[in-house]
Amino acid sequence: MIVIVAIGFLLIHLAPGDPVLALAGEHGDAAYYAFMRSRFGLDESIPRQLAIYLGRVTTGDLGFSYVYGRATLGVIAERIPATLLLTGSALVLSILVAIPLGAAGAARPHGTRDLGINALALGLYSTPAFWIGQLAVLGLSLRLGIFPVQGMTSAGSSATGWLRAWDVARHLALPAMVLAAQELAVLVRVTRSTLLEELSREHVRAARAKGLSRRQALLRHALPRALLPVVTIVGARVGHIVAGAAIVEIIFGWPGMGRLLLASLQSRDTPILLGLFLVVSLTVVLANLLSDLLHAAIDPRIRLR
Amino acid sequence: MKCECSPALRTARAPRVVASSLLGLALVCTACARDARGRDATTLVAAIASDPGQLNPAITTNGSVHTAAALLYDGLVALDDSLRPTPALAVRWGIEDGGARYRFHLRSGVRWHDGTAFTAADVKFTFDSLLLRFHARTRASLAAALVSVDAVDDSTVVFNFRRPYAPLLQQLDVGEAPILPRHLYAGRDPLRNPVNLAPVGTGPFRFASYSPHNEIRYKANREYFLGAPALGAVVLRVIPDDDTQVAALEAGEVDWLFAVPGPARAALAANPGVRVTHSRLNLGGSNCLITLGFNLDRPWFRDVRVRRAVAHAVNRSQFLERVLFGDGRIADAPISSGIGFAHATDLATASYDTAEAARLLAASGWIRHGDGARSAQGVAGLPDGTAFVIGFKAMPRQMVYGELLRAQLRSVGIELRLEPLEPAVFADAVFTARDFDTAIGSYCNGPDPEIGVRRMYVSSSISPVPFSNMAGYRNPAMDALFDSAGAAMNQDERRRLYHEIQALAIHDQPYVWLVETTNTQAYSTRCSGFSATEHFAATAACGR
Amino acid sequence: MRPSTRASVFAELAAVADAPPPARWRRLYRREVLRRMSVRLGVALIGAVVAMALFGPAIAPHDPFAVSGGSLVAPSAAHPMGTDALGRDVLSGLLYGARTSVVIAGGVALIAFACGTTIGMLAGYRGGWVDDALMRTTELFQVIPRFFFVVVTIALFGPGLGRMVLVIGLTSWPTLARVVRGEVIAMRDLDFIRAAEAAGATATRIARRQLLPNVLPSVVVVLGLLIGQVLLLEATLGFLGLGDPGAISWGTMAAQAQGFLRVAWWLALFPGLAITLTVIGVNLLADAFSSARTVDSRGR
Repeated sequence: MIVIVAIGFLLIHLAPGDPVLALAGEHGDAAYYAFMRSRFGLDESIPRQLAIYLGRVTTGDLGFSYVYGRATLGVIAERIPATLLLTGSALVLSILVAIPLGAAGAARPHGTRDLGINALALGLYSTPAFWIGQLAVLGLSLRLGIFPVQGMTSAGSSATGWLRAWDVARHLALPAMVLAAQELAVLVRVTRSTLLEELSREHVRAARAKGLSRRQALLRHALPRALLPVVTIVGARVGHIVAGAAIVEIIFGWPGMGRLLLASLQSRDTPILLGLFLVVSLTVVLANLLSDLLHAAIDPRIRLR
Repeated sequence: MKCECSPALRTARAPRVVASSLLGLALVCTACARDARGRDATTLVAAIASDPGQLNPAITTNGSVHTAAALLYDGLVALDDSLRPTPALAVRWGIEDGGARYRFHLRSGVRWHDGTAFTAADVKFTFDSLLLRFHARTRASLAAALVSVDAVDDSTVVFNFRRPYAPLLQQLDVGEAPILPRHLYAGRDPLRNPVNLAPVGTGPFRFASYSPHNEIRYKANREYFLGAPALGAVVLRVIPDDDTQVAALEAGEVDWLFAVPGPARAALAANPGVRVTHSRLNLGGSNCLITLGFNLDRPWFRDVRVRRAVAHAVNRSQFLERVLFGDGRIADAPISSGIGFAHATDLATASYDTAEAARLLAASGWIRHGDGARSAQGVAGLPDGTAFVIGFKAMPRQMVYGELLRAQLRSVGIELRLEPLEPAVFADAVFTARDFDTAIGSYCNGPDPEIGVRRMYVSSSISPVPFSNMAGYRNPAMDALFDSAGAAMNQDERRRLYHEIQALAIHDQPYVWLVETTNTQAYSTRCSGFSATEHFAATAACGR
Repeated sequence: MRPSTRASVFAELAAVADAPPPARWRRLYRREVLRRMSVRLGVALIGAVVAMALFGPAIAPHDPFAVSGGSLVAPSAAHPMGTDALGRDVLSGLLYGARTSVVIAGGVALIAFACGTTIGMLAGYRGGWVDDALMRTTELFQVIPRFFFVVVTIALFGPGLGRMVLVIGLTSWPTLARVVRGEVIAMRDLDFIRAAEAAGATATRIARRQLLPNVLPSVVVVLGLLIGQVLLLEATLGFLGLGDPGAISWGTMAAQAQGFLRVAWWLALFPGLAITLTVIGVNLLADAFSSARTVDSRGR
């Protein structure tokens, strides 16, 4: 983790351009910029700034955002719930859709249905997320008016409680589906190939010999086992999912970390950029760990060292 | 496809729906919920492109902060459509000592949104501790000329200058100099003050809530000194993507767009539910002029004939048509037509004439062989055979000007390499390091040439300050003209001086003035009565 | 690429087990037809892109950077794919853009190949602390969220084709390294390696002559999948306004079309389709290649 922090920090400070301008605006004079620079400790040498930064990070202090005039951690933290809601729902949605689709494909490999599902997965996997997003807005929101165009809540709505939750769910549906589409493609293929493998194993064949139909064998014996690789894949793809979420957030105006990333890039908000990089990296590490733990919980053969 | 649901039915069923399944049923029942906005008809929803981050307009020139905070505050004066000052926090004012002293009489009975009385001490504090220290534009233009701001008594403020200073009244509106409450800012670090996120002003609307990157809510200030707004509330909704903003207006999710992207304008104008209007206000300033700057330190551009050749090679009507989609006008003088008294109407800037451009280039030692870029032959400072391939820097939003420029200059044998740079990097490369060949900037002239034009031409503003003298242009005659124009208090005298300034600028051609941008705004027909000021919603009303 | 042999067909039969015979045969037949079709489709798609990259500039009707027509002209005889807002020809842009895609995909694949196979073979063959050190490094690189890293780097240092290839390349090799390492470990103690060692071959020679040819099939599959991801990443960078303005790229074209979605459908459609079809082509080939291999090895 420390290495990642250092990489990010050096990268940003070696880049051309001066972070002080982000704070000072575009019309100040030289003395004013010097004042701002000393005020935010940008006069110190880079190694010293890094040392200061590392020291702060360990105490949970990610620095002070120039642009927001607030603590970085706070600025990032208030975006996390929105991103979690989006990625979480997209994941649940893609798993709920992918496993039946994968199973349907595996039930009759190379049948028409399998072929169609495979083609769908390949198509979704090969299309840029922003393109799907824009087409979805164009078709489903503008033409058909089924979904709201953007945002997390209706502007100007003062709904509370359940009404508010309902409002958020309505706005969540389309971005979650677009994000889920990308993951869906991967998960369908993984589910399908694992199921095929499981179906050919001894215990499944034994079960079938006892008179279970292929469908029953699939559901009772193969499917639970097939969840393992799905868990692994989801864990390994957290980086992708958050990246996908960033694009989806930008298209749908979802107030999460992706939007923050873009805004911080444009205003060159160094502490926020570093903080985001840190938070996403940490999430990836934790997700890997979590998927290992889940793996162990599902499959007793694996012992954690 | 529309499905009417009675409010009672909606309320009754919503909890059960949500409780059972968020996503599944979201697909089924959105058609009903579309009408269930739970929104008051007198709430105006406006789209803004970027999140302001904080709401203190006195410590930044960031356009998105100013857009979001303007409704909350007032200046000493307001500016009408012709940029004439009208009373706001000050009811009347006098100019003394030939323009070196301004005396303002403040409105009585004005209260901050928290009930505290507004006094002259607030004005003095705002200038001394906030605007002159943290607001870069005000600081750059006023700090050098101003001796002091004095609160003579609770309702009188005096500005004392070193020398006569003509443009003060144009710099005191809410956009340039919003007045903030002393009792909440005194003795605290203005950059970290929590009041920046829960601001208290005197303006037509009071702050209600701020949800970053999502929306900011305002309630009407029933005690507003110019009369209570008809609207009950305003919501500024953050929608970064231009096209999504348009879509949201069409879908009825927002009622007001501060800026309409060119390609969407025709569709909106044809939409019976939407009205389209124009304004001199742009995000970041008024009377903005898209300007191509030459780096005069580079050997390519030392010869004025080359600069004129580029000016002749530029087809400005294509810029107006294809980049601005007609939303603006061709820049026919170095000062914006929005500053009526100073804009020269009888001067000819270089016309579109590629033959003349080719002739000038050949005459100055740039020879063309075949179709490609010209090469140098006897150009001072460049070895013979150097190709006319030059860099072009711009901020990403303005890169489209570079793409068209590249296409146009190709036809006369000049090749542009485009380099998009984020705003901070752009400012650093162009104004601090001066590492560029050509660059483009939107120079907002502001309400007076002293504010936004002077900085482009005087030699003293060749500095690391962003959007100062980009070309690195120095001409003592020009410096002298600006000094006289800034000090002259007589309008006719100023007009004459700015005319001379423009003639000289066209002769020396340190810049190519491409187009003046105006701003198209659009709003839902359920609302009306908007004004073309920062307080756009103060006079508006919305119905069903 | 080897088509599945008769032996592998029977292996597959065993795997699919007890479906009634005629259906089983039908399925296998279909599977074979499908695989051939998808290989053909993939080859055709990729061939088309490579041909465009080679000959595009020669056959393009216009200079893609120049104003060659009116603003936002719908597809017509003069402009088969229409023009953009500035009046530039979309078809010409698409033809020139193929070159950019090939350069990016090729450059990234080259870097990933060089880093990935070297590190993978070194770690797998040497084992011990070398393996440990290299794998820790690989894990570190794998944890770096690639998208965020690339976006932040490009945004800070400014866009550029070379820079983009370098940054994406340097973050793309870990998967390859791990796959190669796994294969090498499995191979390390096999007879032919031992024989080469006994014959006194140097490690470099073994790596080049024995290991590399044997890991190559897996490498090709991983690289194929990688190229698909790289093309999508490039398009996404274009969408974020981080594409190289000096080179025409499909991603940037599709991104610039976003503002015109409703007035000029052709601007978004053609570049978007070009990206999607290319990525489908790459993925089809990678899939066909890997399934041919698995069937093949099962049959063995």
